Amino acid sequence: MYQYTEFDRQFVRARAAQFRDQLERNLAGELSDDDFRPLRLQNGWYIQRHAPMTRIAIPYGELASRQLRQLAKVATELDRGYLHFTTRTNAQFNWIPLPRAADAMDMLAEADMHGIQTSGNCIRNITTDVFAGIAPDEIVDPRPYCELLRQWSTLHPEFAFLPRKFKIAVSGALEDRAAIAWHDIGLQLVKNAAGEVGFKVLVGGGMGRTPVIAAVATEFLPWNQIMVYIEAIVRVYNRFGRRDNAYKARIKILVKAEGQKFFDQVNEEFRKILADDVGGSAHIIPQAEFDRVAAFFKRPEKVHPAIGGFDPNRTGAAPVPFLRWLDRNVHAHQVEGYRAVTLSLKRPGQAPGDVTSAQMEAAATMADRYSLGELRVSHDQNLMLPWVREADLRAVWHAAQDAGFATPNIGLLTDMIACPGGDLCALANARSLPIAAAITEQFDDLDALLDLGDIDLHISGCMNSCGHHHTGHIGILGIDKDGDEWYQVSVGGSDGSTLSGASVPAKIIGPSFAAEEVPAVIQALIDTFRTQRAANERFVDTARRIGIAPFRQATDAVRRETAVAA
Amino acid sequence: MKFIDRHTDSWLLLPDSEIAGPAPHRLLTLAQWEAVRGAWRDDVPVGVLLPNTADVEALAADLPRIALIALEFPKWVDGRAYSQAHVLRARLRYAGEVRAVGEVVVDMMPLLQRSGFDAVVLREGERQSSAERALGFFPAGHYQGDVLQPNPLFARKAA
Repeated sequence: MYQYTEFDRQFVRARAAQFRDQLERNLAGELSDDDFRPLRLQNGWYIQRHAPMTRIAIPYGELASRQLRQLAKVATELDRGYLHFTTRTNAQFNWIPLPRAADAMDMLAEADMHGIQTSGNCIRNITTDVFAGIAPDEIVDPRPYCELLRQWSTLHPEFAFLPRKFKIAVSGALEDRAAIAWHDIGLQLVKNAAGEVGFKVLVGGGMGRTPVIAAVATEFLPWNQIMVYIEAIVRVYNRFGRRDNAYKARIKILVKAEGQKFFDQVNEEFRKILADDVGGSAHIIPQAEFDRVAAFFKRPEKVHPAIGGFDPNRTGAAPVPFLRWLDRNVHAHQVEGYRAVTLSLKRPGQAPGDVTSAQMEAAATMADRYSLGELRVSHDQNLMLPWVREADLRAVWHAAQDAGFATPNIGLLTDMIACPGGDLCALANARSLPIAAAITEQFDDLDALLDLGDIDLHISGCMNSCGHHHTGHIGILGIDKDGDEWYQVSVGGSDGSTLSGASVPAKIIGPSFAAEEVPAVIQALIDTFRTQRAANERFVDTARRIGIAPFRQATDAVRRETAVAA
Repeated sequence: MKFIDRHTDSWLLLPDSEIAGPAPHRLLTLAQWEAVRGAWRDDVPVGVLLPNTADVEALAADLPRIALIALEFPKWVDGRAYSQAHVLRARLRYAGEVRAVGEVVVDMMPLLQRSGFDAVVLREGERQSSAERALGFFPAGHYQGDVLQPNPLFARKAA
């Protein structure tokens, strides 16, 4: 894992001191609420429905056990004892009073954490593959590049007030587990014929009101030029991106509108930076700097491959729940004798992605005991232990059961993504948590769930798409009609993974539904799938094969409060 | 960073009708400058006020004759002028004054300074003492290079 240098540490403390100054000027009346807003947002502070919500950066999803303990401490001392993990692998508190905001940032800085650029119209926290550095299908470990880009994008003076938010995702494996085509910039690490490392660069993807799949800007950019190339992209965007309408301000709209001209401008800007700009070529990453950063991500010395394989039944028949957990929550690893273990944060009684302080402590202890003190946050809102020895799997399973992390549902319908929605978020049009809870309760039969197989269910409380509804095999979007909550349901979306197929937004099946109807609607979708399913077919494949008409017909039949569209 | 007092500032912005010929300390709009640039004597310092949509590279040939470029922030959260300032300094090597005008607030100071601005006219009501304090929170510098410090941290460490 990356370890903070003295520079990093003083930098985060400096940022906390700067924020305290801004907060104090705000509380003293010198800095108006309107002017404070963009400043607090760039430190992760929203003003929400009940209290401020604060978003803490977990760069590329890597989290040390000591950091998780510090989050637990903040949750206990300043919040109401729980935390929420998001689809950008960040962490959110919901109940810290604003006058305590600077204290919270100081506490987080103690554990090398902050909220820098977790919101606002700037370059946001960079995300990557949850299995980075341990995936068997990895081409190049993306984490050193993520860290270099984290540093480059942090408090970039020119790009703090872009037309709109700007999200970058990096993948270094054959399988895209980071949904890169859905990002403002998606980076795929590749090797050319000569074995040299570079990036395939995608630009202009995004969710929101107008879902767009990113276009290829270049098939191969030498790795060491990445900062310069991104500088060129973001400068063109800063200059020409629309600022007259927030819904048309993302770079995807500019790329769509300009087409090839946009890419020509980027390439010309890139050329000028390197040819003309003072400091331009200084941002080509030297090998020595790469090596310095990459050294943090070397395989831990304590990892020793173990041969002989793993047989859960070696000492007698293993219990079926353990086998199920192995099948769903335990993943293949680069190192022989090791596995990655997902701690499921999807279970009845707790919102998707939520953990209590006690659960954070338990997960930190599990990480210390079984995973060299390291955890990951996944973009589908679970925690993951990256360094579990096969010999420890049974013990990890018991510990996961004790802490409520052992639901063997990873990839299944109840492993759903959901934003906090209208219960907590001031932006939301509708609540997502009661919908998530109702579906979790309704589909509590594990055999049935397993039989349904892999289904991505994604719920967003509004068009901001924090719950990634566009990429769900089943997507649910909360909308507001005359002050009432309604839900638009869609099927067949893909995040770009092999299982889900090429990136594509889900198709809306019909007019929106009332909240009370949603569980029956999901049931109708599932029943339709069961009826129409070819042998062992996955939901998303059935949906693509039969189209939306059968789903529409089935869901129209369960409408009680909403009228069937003519 | 130079803090300009709008009441004692010597640079004058005048309506089109009063722009006759070269005179010292005239701050011209881009349109005014384009109208008179052929007749403007090289030894009379001129200032040009640019909207944040202007392409500063189009002004490259005129830069040696321009003593001051004022870049506008119509709203303080509209960040286009940072890129203009960066290109003026880093690409075009502009050495005159780059001044931030419009809605310029205290907390923009570090960004302005690092993007190449060396003068500001603060929005009415902003405190200069707070703006000066805002410039001092990162004494050890930043990760990426900027106009003041063109080398990123890794290049500074190596030097």
